Amino acid sequence: MTAKTRSIRAGLGIATAMVLALPAAAQELTIIRNQDSNHYDPARTAALSGSEVLFMLADTVVGLDEDMSTIVPHLASSWEISDDALTYTFTIKEGVTFCDGKPMTAEDVAYSLNRWYDPETKSPVRWRMGDVKSITAPDATTLVYELNEPHSELLYQLAQSFGSVVDKETVEALGPDFGVTGFNGTGPFCWESWTPRDKMVLTRHEGYTWGPTNYENTGPAQVEKVTWQIVPEAATRTVAMLTGQGDISPYVPYIGVDKLRKAPTVDIVESNEAFWTNYVGFKITKDMVGDVKVREAINLAVNQEAMAEDLFFGEVEPAYSYISSGALDWDESLDDKLLTYDPEKAAALLDEAGWTLNSAGKREKDGVVLSPLAITFTGEWQTTVEAVQADLLKVGIDMQIEPMDATVYWGKSATDDFDMYVMGFPYVSAGDALNLYFRSSNIPTPNRMNYNDPKTDELLLTGSHATSDGDRAAAYGEVLATVHDEAIWLPIYHKPMQIAVSKKMKPFEAHNIYGAGLYKGLQLGFAD
Amino acid sequence: MTMTSANAASAAPATEDADQVTAPARAHWFRRLLRDRAAALALLTLTVIILGAVFAPWLATHDPASNSRSIMTPPVWSAMGEAEHWLGTDGQGRDIYSRLLYGARLTLLIGFLAVGLGGFIGSLIGLMSAFNEKLDPIVMRTMDVLLSFPAILLGLALVAVMGQGVVPVVIALSVSSIPDCARVARGIAIGVMKQEFIEAGRAVGLSNLQLFQRYLVRNAISSIMIFISLRFGQTILIGATLSFLGLGAKPPAAELGMMASQGREFLLFAPHIAVIPSVVIFVIVLSANVAGDALRDVLDPRLQA
Repeated sequence: MTAKTRSIRAGLGIATAMVLALPAAAQELTIIRNQDSNHYDPARTAALSGSEVLFMLADTVVGLDEDMSTIVPHLASSWEISDDALTYTFTIKEGVTFCDGKPMTAEDVAYSLNRWYDPETKSPVRWRMGDVKSITAPDATTLVYELNEPHSELLYQLAQSFGSVVDKETVEALGPDFGVTGFNGTGPFCWESWTPRDKMVLTRHEGYTWGPTNYENTGPAQVEKVTWQIVPEAATRTVAMLTGQGDISPYVPYIGVDKLRKAPTVDIVESNEAFWTNYVGFKITKDMVGDVKVREAINLAVNQEAMAEDLFFGEVEPAYSYISSGALDWDESLDDKLLTYDPEKAAALLDEAGWTLNSAGKREKDGVVLSPLAITFTGEWQTTVEAVQADLLKVGIDMQIEPMDATVYWGKSATDDFDMYVMGFPYVSAGDALNLYFRSSNIPTPNRMNYNDPKTDELLLTGSHATSDGDRAAAYGEVLATVHDEAIWLPIYHKPMQIAVSKKMKPFEAHNIYGAGLYKGLQLGFAD
Repeated sequence: MTMTSANAASAAPATEDADQVTAPARAHWFRRLLRDRAAALALLTLTVIILGAVFAPWLATHDPASNSRSIMTPPVWSAMGEAEHWLGTDGQGRDIYSRLLYGARLTLLIGFLAVGLGGFIGSLIGLMSAFNEKLDPIVMRTMDVLLSFPAILLGLALVAVMGQGVVPVVIALSVSSIPDCARVARGIAIGVMKQEFIEAGRAVGLSNLQLFQRYLVRNAISSIMIFISLRFGQTILIGATLSFLGLGAKPPAAELGMMASQGREFLLFAPHIAVIPSVVIFVIVLSANVAGDALRDVLDPRLQA
């Protein structure tokens, strides 16, 4: 064979050997995933690859049910919200201990949340906490969370991994190495070792009994050891699941899902409560995509349905809306207005906007060819963008692609050097998604569109401060209508939660919190 | 430059010398090349591939960038194949046969450009180095430094600075060809410089430029060309490797290494997407090497007993 094929084969071989070398005793669980996080400090990472491990390492004040809407007791056994919705008083459980055996009190909770809010921490997701007045612990079992303005989603946000309770002494002792060389939380599993870009090993937290009540088993965990193993090559992850080298993988490529579904040793656990949307965003301040007609035309020219069927093997739901219509506060009146595949209308819109076909079959205006530059991650995203490129070419748009590695992409996407970018994001509600992307204060990132609309900013605040469900839904509904009208994004697909699970495991229900399908891991156990 | 009679006379030894080496061979070299069956086959294969690449727009059955709804279709000879796509389609439903033609075009172009550019600059440096003894140590130590840069690393660095594209790959490949070509050219040139006609040239008062052009270059060029032809296969391979790593052409352009890389995703389900372009790279490199070897055997004066 050629050197090319040989290197592929060798690569597969190495990856397989790596997986083979794992310990495989009965009570040791191997979870296979695609990539690592750069660190595991809960307040400082917004990466799913960080969150999914942190949910196991640490606990939050409240938990979230698999239905993605019921808040359940976790470190707090109960809570009260004042009538003005400004003061939340939590009763913190007694008898909770950190992995090093030290008891955890409301003081630790207050420390962790204040650390998240502290501007010095530079949390990328600080806005999720609302406009905080103070977070205090008047006694060992009481936590008082006071706000300046109501924040209707506060409890949802406190269930996220960013609010993980951590031990102050460990944080201070390790400094910048916290979440890199060590960790100390109260979670169902404890930090044993981390080899970046290889594996994270967690051991069971003996004596853990304070899991969120959505689980039948609130602790201790059923398995003794959890290894989060990185296998970057998608095909190798499929093979590793087929051959039983991994017990669980939430990262099976779509191409492999059906094969695994049919395999006698593997099940695919799916959930319909998943909210994760992949989209292409427009930098609306750039000439190429500054005209709403061009953005609409691009939306109309792309065949999401064909992509969902062909590129993703029918495993994903084609997206025309910016958030899933199943998410909290989605405005159903928008359903009929969404831009679906209609290349003729796209061509007509482009003509209307003055971009006419030239002799080479490309759209041109004043001597400039319509050639927006899209930046993309390599891998699956590149495949997606290439399909978009091919669809756009059919209406004469000469989209350019600049693929880059994830390590480069995050920095590049914070610049002004592109017309279109790609991103996928997990969310629990409309407010969650809209506040993240459409606030003008979030320019240049995550508002990479440079979308700056005072009316939207105001509505987002109204929605976030609303104390009634109706008011909140109305405000967010209006924002949704505006951004869809402006065609700020090109939605691609809503990603389902799919987890490949060995039949050696007991059946369990997939979670969707922040896209972390395994959540606390308390449900994971081997069948007898 | 005015052509004086002295010049015309002094040019004679060079031509005469060159003729002495190549003239008897030139009459037969191509026939002798074809007598080597492996070489003939390699040359034929290369010719076919090059013609395919050159006439890609006429030979292709589909637009190489255009996708379709039939994805991962296997080649026509397998049970699931479709007559419309002779070699099947890739993960985007693009016609592999058409992409191969355009891919070979880009791969060969990168190879030719890189070998041409690197070979030209490298040989020039090598020849000058041999011609001027004062220049020699400095230049050759610089080449040693360059030699320590792996092409792939250089390519990665250039792409980081210039962004993905064909140009940084061509530059990386050229730069990595320069030291090898320079060293070989220098070696050949030193041999030529020891010949008596060089001294004769100096004696009749030829300028350095004339000596360099007429005596040195003309006598060294054929051996250098053989070396450069041998480097071609290697350059294609490194170029494909760089593309495989995602450093080469931008999508939707087709390039053989890139096609192999994209097919890697589907290796388990549709191996032909990666295997077909890989086989083509293999065939190109093998043919180039076999043909280059044969060419050396036929043309290199030192191998002619």
